Amino acid sequence: MPTSLFDNRKSVIHRLNPVTKLVALLAIIVIVFAIPVWWVSAIVLVVVIVPAAVISGSGGRLLSLSLKILIPILLVLFIVQGLTFPGGETILWRWGVLKLTTEGLLFALGVGSRIIVLILASILLVLTTHPGQLMSALSEHGMSPKFAYIISSTLQLIPAFSDRANSILLAQQARGLSLKGSPFRRIKVMLPLLSPLVLGMFTDVEERSTAMEARAFGSPAKRTSLIPVPDTTLQRVLRWVFVALALGAIATPILMGIL
Amino acid sequence: MEVSFNDVKYTYPGGVEALKGITFNVPTGQSLAIVGQNGAGKTTLVRHLNGIFQPTSGTVTVGDWTTAGHTIAELSARVGYVFQNPDEQLFARKVFDDVAFGPRNLKFDEEAVASAVTEALEETGLTKEAQSHPHHLSLSERKRVALAAVLAMKTPVVVLDEPTTGQDHNGVRMIASIVKKLREANRTVIAITHDMDFCAENFERVIVMAQGEVLADSSPENVFNLPEVLAKARVEAPQLERLASSLGWKSHPMNVDAFVDNLEAKSR
Amino acid sequence: MIKLSDVSYAYPDTDHYTLTNVDLDVPQGEVVGIVGASGAGKTTLAKIISGFIPHVDGGALSGRIEVDGINLPESTLAIAVSHVGLVIQSPFNQISGAKFTVREELAFGLENQGVEREEMATRVGEVAKLLGIETLLDRSPYALSGGQQQLVAIASMIIMRTPVLVMDEPTSQLDPGGTRMVFDVMSKLRDSGITLVVFEHKVELLREHASTVHVIADHQIVASGPARKVLSDPRLEKWAIGTTRYTRAAALAEEKSLLPKSTELPVSLEDSIDVFKGFKNLKKG
Ligand SMILES: Nc1ncnc2c1ncn2[C@@H]1O[C@H](COP(=O)(O)OP(=O)(O)OP(=O)(O)O)[C@@H](O)[C@H]1O
Ligand SMILES: Nc1ncnc2c1ncn2[C@@H]1O[C@H](COP(=O)(O)OP(=O)(O)OP(=O)(O)O)[C@@H](O)[C@H]1O
Ligand SMILES: [Mg+2]
Ligand SMILES: [Mg+2]
Repeated sequence: MPTSLFDNRKSVIHRLNPVTKLVALLAIIVIVFAIPVWWVSAIVLVVVIVPAAVISGSGGRLLSLSLKILIPILLVLFIVQGLTFPGGETILWRWGVLKLTTEGLLFALGVGSRIIVLILASILLVLTTHPGQLMSALSEHGMSPKFAYIISSTLQLIPAFSDRANSILLAQQARGLSLKGSPFRRIKVMLPLLSPLVLGMFTDVEERSTAMEARAFGSPAKRTSLIPVPDTTLQRVLRWVFVALALGAIATPILMGIL
Repeated sequence: MEVSFNDVKYTYPGGVEALKGITFNVPTGQSLAIVGQNGAGKTTLVRHLNGIFQPTSGTVTVGDWTTAGHTIAELSARVGYVFQNPDEQLFARKVFDDVAFGPRNLKFDEEAVASAVTEALEETGLTKEAQSHPHHLSLSERKRVALAAVLAMKTPVVVLDEPTTGQDHNGVRMIASIVKKLREANRTVIAITHDMDFCAENFERVIVMAQGEVLADSSPENVFNLPEVLAKARVEAPQLERLASSLGWKSHPMNVDAFVDNLEAKSR
Repeated sequence: MIKLSDVSYAYPDTDHYTLTNVDLDVPQGEVVGIVGASGAGKTTLAKIISGFIPHVDGGALSGRIEVDGINLPESTLAIAVSHVGLVIQSPFNQISGAKFTVREELAFGLENQGVEREEMATRVGEVAKLLGIETLLDRSPYALSGGQQQLVAIASMIIMRTPVLVMDEPTSQLDPGGTRMVFDVMSKLRDSGITLVVFEHKVELLREHASTVHVIADHQIVASGPARKVLSDPRLEKWAIGTTRYTRAAALAEEKSLLPKSTELPVSLEDSIDVFKGFKNLKKG
């Protein structure tokens, strides 16, 4: 029973044209990766992402979903980089060859803040964007329907994948598989379930693409859409502003290098 | 083993009220068919038996256990559930290993595992495929592998979700004889089906469901003689029952032999 | 409308033919049934008639395949699908995965064809009414029961209005009422000039709705003819398709000399009422 991550609400953020949100997401990613200082990410987070999340009303789900992904990544990042950063001089704590250095921590902070922005912004887009509308909007902007489908169905695929994993796991429990015990034991018993998951996904994808073709998916006609995709002049302007900001961000380090 | 539903209600997270207070009891060794319109709540109902779903309110008991107090893995020793979609269930590289998975989890010794698997494969007509990869079989064969996998666990309760879907004549006959064998072994069988002839010929009791409720619960002869109930649940009587009533007979033949016996009686 | 001559096919990486020397002739505006045991090659033939073999599945295909005046193997898939629609065996996989409601799911194919918005909305309404799924329109196509999902899958192809419609076990998960409804819809579509090819196990319904029936066994078409004649053939048991209880009851009655030997056993309720009414009269006379 795959379900979408899409959190069906009526906020301004939900009603934005999906392309506006996609352009904003790409611009944000370009900006935080082009200017590699942690406080740029912090500014983006405070000025753009947090207000957008609050307005959308999907902030709670955003937080719970992204924490699940971020906590393990950030833990590993800070432990590994903090302890083993080459050339770390300012030692805060040491144990054998391992030393916790300020440089290492700062490096982890730089990388970590960008990952936080990347993940939060992406999940917010998925939560507030109707996948069907994203596809329609992208093809209205001249993207090939196939490519548009790949993008919008990938957003659906993540939850589909976890639903499928969940039902396979349930089926095995129904055949006596016990998940009690240490996390290590649980991972051990769950590993063999990965291959049917992947195999099943592949056969599904193959058959599904047949079914899609049968519904004129390869048709050369210009696509229309049942549900109109809202767009406004303001949003059109906004999109160019984002593009300009992204270009500016790319230019900044180059210009600073020259000067 | 006896199972029972006590005023079970279930509402999906999206708000669909799938079960609106279901109460019934299936004694040990009974064979029960559940029929009814698409979306009636049949699948939702039986998924409560092994704890995949827990009631929003009410209780489900299996023997002396309440499902709420036990894990799915624990319940699996008592209830074998064959998923409607075999691809959610099969995972090993060989049919044999897949069928052996359940018995091994239930701690059968290797000898018992081998004999349980061999027997289950034979009953489902898959002996030749023991070493095949499940994903290389056709859908109807994979459905039978899924069935074999549950039979091999030798649970006192067996639940089948639309077992005859996509099966040809031989497949349906095979499943009918499995139901018969389970009954003879005094195991409880609950099957969901849309095939009324299969239902009339192989089950002693029929429950008719529509819109999350039980509309009728009796023997096939009685249930298939309730035209309003059948219409409401978008179900029809088995073929020969429809013929008998069109011919104005008072009797309710549930299979070919009964029909012809009647014919013979009338001609005497 | 559909003409196959001497068609043989082997899947890629196999050393045997799944279908050999198949000839098939389907006139326009008919419902034609095709029956066969599991693994007989029904799905394979369905894919050949709708162009997915050879355009999607490769393999070795020979012979001539013409549908709605198009030579399918020499055409493209995009052209093929505008002439012939295929309802695949698994409803779950017919759902596009890109749509959030049943309403949009139904419109998906029309969007691809560039149909105007108002017309799409009208056609979605019509097809939903036809298949009795109006109340599901605003639900997610995934949060449905098996049978409900199958109805959505069928509707999503009917809405395309292709001149030829091929259905691979379209009623496998439907309740008896829903099965009848889908067969009635097929007859309605036929009356509007559409040609339908149905791969089915439900012999009784095929007898009532199909004009012609073909049997696939041993990689070939082994019997073809009027529905009643083909579907009362005792060899159906040997081919693992099975006859209806009506046929079996009449055969047993004949064996016990309760009925006179007939040339064609009854297949449907109506057929058998005729036969057994005759029996009553015979006894009285
Ligand atoms: N994952 C889900 N989320 C929300 N609603 C669901 C979900 N699955 C099923 N439903 C709804 O719950 C009700 C009961 O569904 P269920 O699958 O139990 O029906 P069923 O009797 O098994 O039907 P079928 O004969 O078509 O398999 C239906 O209205 C269905 O649309
Ligand atoms: N992709 C494939 N590659 C190789 N062999 C295949 C492939 N698909 C099907 N086959 C084989 O071709 C034969 C016919 O399969 P097909 O799916 O057409 O049968 P079917 O009549 O539709 O059966 P069912 O009633 O189970 O759906 C089977 O023996 C099957 O194993
Ligand atoms: Mg069901
Ligand atoms: Mg098939």
